[in-house]
Amino acid sequence: MNIKEKMQRRLKLNRPSLRARARPPKQRTPLGQQFTAANLPSALSMQTCSDCGHVQYPPTELCGACLADGLIFNDTPVDGLLLQRTDLHHSLWEFFKRHLRRASWPIASVKLDAGPTVFCHLGDRRLTTGNRVQVFSHTDASQSMVLIAVGAEHDVGAREVRRQLTEQLGLTQPALRQGGI
Amino acid sequence: MRDYSGVALVTPVSWGYAKQSPHGAAWFIGSVLRELIQRSGLQKSDIDGFAVSSFSLGVDSAIALTQHFGLSPRWIEQLNYGGVSGILAMRRAARAIQAGDAEVVACVGGDGAVHRAFEGTAANFSSFTIDASFPYGAGGPNAAFSLITQHYMDTFGATREDFARICLDQRYNANHYPPALLGHKKLDLGGYLAARPIAGPLHLFDCVMPCAGGEGFLMMSIDRAKSLGLSYATLMAADELHNAHPQDAIQYRGGWTHYIDAMYERAGIGPADVDCLQTYDDYPVISMMQLEDLGFCAKGDGPRFVHQVDMRFDHSGPQSRKLPHNTCGGQLSAGQAGSAAGFLGVVESLRQLTDSAGLNQIDKPQNSLVSGYGMINYDRGLCTAAALLGRGQQ
Repeated sequence: MNIKEKMQRRLKLNRPSLRARARPPKQRTPLGQQFTAANLPSALSMQTCSDCGHVQYPPTELCGACLADGLIFNDTPVDGLLLQRTDLHHSLWEFFKRHLRRASWPIASVKLDAGPTVFCHLGDRRLTTGNRVQVFSHTDASQSMVLIAVGAEHDVGAREVRRQLTEQLGLTQPALRQGGI
Repeated sequence: MRDYSGVALVTPVSWGYAKQSPHGAAWFIGSVLRELIQRSGLQKSDIDGFAVSSFSLGVDSAIALTQHFGLSPRWIEQLNYGGVSGILAMRRAARAIQAGDAEVVACVGGDGAVHRAFEGTAANFSSFTIDASFPYGAGGPNAAFSLITQHYMDTFGATREDFARICLDQRYNANHYPPALLGHKKLDLGGYLAARPIAGPLHLFDCVMPCAGGEGFLMMSIDRAKSLGLSYATLMAADELHNAHPQDAIQYRGGWTHYIDAMYERAGIGPADVDCLQTYDDYPVISMMQLEDLGFCAKGDGPRFVHQVDMRFDHSGPQSRKLPHNTCGGQLSAGQAGSAAGFLGVVESLRQLTDSAGLNQIDKPQNSLVSGYGMINYDRGLCTAAALLGRGQQ
């Protein structure tokens, strides 16, 4: 590697804004990586306590209700109530910064019927507080699992539908910069 | 709960506020420690208790700092509790002094702000943050707070003009507190409303500016403070409760509701007697929540209350009811120096009660209520604490 390549590589690491391809945050804890793995084959899978039935999210080591060492990932009903939505106009992360130059980025907190409250990307800008929604999981362009809320009319049980909804949000592709490193 | 009699707080120090700094946290913590020693007239070896709060010590801990600074304390505490760390340090240190575990405790919060440091803190704040909130795009806790703010506005009819009351009076106070990072800039309602949007209802002046800085004070017995000739404040009452109201789907109240009445009772005063209030103001909705939960108005009345009360330090506002609030500008105008922000209210109260505030001094306050809130682990702040400080009798 010559000096020019070295400097380019350093710039790419230290200056995300110069990267040709910016991706969503990849970092997850080991439990978050388990969440990603468990959700690959299903619409939504969350830790469920085999002792008390408590559904746990975000993922933890032990059941947050009874402290049993009995959490296993199980398919979880996708239905929930949209508690509150908000439109982001600012981010610290280059992937979102590039999207935010074009439009605000809607996210929401949803109370799942199964119990947990989740933060999720909002797949439909018409959705607002008090709407019934469905929350499904999908990998983003960093191959990490994220949650997405959409209206009740979608058949999120179908993988192809989930794929399409995620693509529409721009989550499956890196955000590009012409002439970036 | 036993009282905190016999314990004194002395020598408030705020140090080195800067938007960015090449220095690490130890520089700010050590500088505060040096100032505490100089201003108290003590020797370094007199300090036998050391309580530290910081987000950016990296691989170091409070114990590593004892070797950095050549301290040999027989009592040590590290409190990484963000917005309540100052009040918690004070409570812990007071008990240590009462029990005789330590005689002089230095309580210090400090954090650096190297280039892109805040991004690192936000991305790695907690395991819940890493797995379940940072991937959704907001810069740090903006997502959680924009949801909390919008929920509060929808539930209680609050408007941006209501939140502006808090921000504008604080900016006025900051205009009289030279170390405040935004103190050189005036802010009016038009400027506040025209600020660029950040997340939902939150605009630029609703969000604290992360910065570097240090805050600290010494604690010792009242007898020791008197023998050193130091002006001091006393701890009238204090309490804390964490992860309170977990059943609330979106946070609109904090743990204060559980203990504030008993705390006033122990202190022997009520909210109407409070001369000076320092709330934790990372976002104005949180200060409004504290005005309610600390008993200054009923739940949901915050948006009306802020229009009826003058929160400037010098009583120069038109409202007849006076309640000096965040008299150095709070974090919204002074800057949020990481964990030191959890000390800001205590240090500012101490300055006010020892008449050492300078330009933003209130006229002889007899007490100050300081409130802490913090640690957005996922969707809400988990920590709450409050303390009533009183003027020491000279």
